Amino acid sequence: MSDHEELESTVAAWVLDALDADEAASIRVHVDGCATCQQTVARLRRAAASLPLEVEEISPPARLRERIYVAAAAARMSTVPSAPARKRVVPARGRWKPAAYISFGRLPALLAAASVVLALLIGLAAGNAIGRNSVPPVAAQVARYHLVGHGTLAGAKGTVINLKVEGVALVDFSGLPPLAKGKVYQLWLITPGGHPDSAAVFVPDSNGGKVVLVGLPLNGYSQMAVTTEDAPDGSPTPSQQPELYGPLA
Amino acid sequence: MELYDRYAALSYAVAMRVLGDPGRAEDVVQEAFLKIWTNAAGFDPKKGSLRTWLITAVRNRSIDYLRGRSAHERQELELQPELASTSIHSDPWHEVSLELERMAVREAVGSLPAEQRQAVQLAYFGGYSQSEIADMTHVPISTVKGRMRLALEKLSSYLLGRGLYPTDSEASP
Repeated sequence: MSDHEELESTVAAWVLDALDADEAASIRVHVDGCATCQQTVARLRRAAASLPLEVEEISPPARLRERIYVAAAAARMSTVPSAPARKRVVPARGRWKPAAYISFGRLPALLAAASVVLALLIGLAAGNAIGRNSVPPVAAQVARYHLVGHGTLAGAKGTVINLKVEGVALVDFSGLPPLAKGKVYQLWLITPGGHPDSAAVFVPDSNGGKVVLVGLPLNGYSQMAVTTEDAPDGSPTPSQQPELYGPLA
Repeated sequence: MELYDRYAALSYAVAMRVLGDPGRAEDVVQEAFLKIWTNAAGFDPKKGSLRTWLITAVRNRSIDYLRGRSAHERQELELQPELASTSIHSDPWHEVSLELERMAVREAVGSLPAEQRQAVQLAYFGGYSQSEIADMTHVPISTVKGRMRLALEKLSSYLLGRGLYPTDSEASP
């Protein structure tokens, strides 16, 4: 068997990534200089690329969409300078005020907003990929803030990704302790005057993580905080001082 | 959104087939979708479809997980001409054509002799090398090579015969 015949007989194994590194390197060199083998490789690769279609589709968990959304937003903002650090303002005890208006019916709106923003992100990706659109300017469109846990939530943290243009924000929580039965976590947006507006009610997953979509602009709020409230809808006003919070600046 | 809706289930299924672990499968699918976004500038649609690119990324990263190697050790497979054109726009025929393609692939794979089907599946979905497959199936490496070659050639001929992808001349730039 000639060298060509010997190597050509290995092309299928190479296409299937079933060769060790040395063998793969040898055949790559050969294929690069052999028009016949290049045609064979192209043909067999098309066949190999069809193999995934044999698999029965499985719907991924809904949380995967959220995860990709957050990660995409984070990647998008990686080219954006961080917001300038400012003096941190911690909510002072006793500054909670009854909210004049608190919306507890936001979840459907939040989900809709999530879909819209995800569509923007994934659509942007696909659009870029096929060369239809250029990447839009991102400077000043996205900012990131951090929530830090204290007391019983000392191990918890949250990353706020503020998509300014879209008028929504994502909060990626981790390290949240399990909730007692009948309790939920409630996310609050706090004005500079100490007025809390409910932004979301949520329960973390078994690993203490959760991605929460805040379906309203963060303009006019200076802090974000989390309390533990009664399930299922939380409380119209915070019933305790927050132990996980951070500035939105 | 459309891209995710269209290919998330297939991507996840491929990752699950390789890894058998929902958590890792999610990680891999996330990486693949993000890769499309972050590497969008380097994507050349003339070389292949988003679907092929995406599923290849999912499969390769899944195998990397299995083999415990980092992604940078792998030279990504080149994009290949699509089996059928892919648009991210709404296309009522897309689902139909994809389903026809699936049926054809299943028929084609199902029609392969068991030992040939096993060889390609162990390599593609199991990430096994030809020598590992030879050990597992108690045959010489040359036999494994032959089975892989025959399986892919038959698959190619079957799909080509159904007009599901272009001939070599049509596929050329």
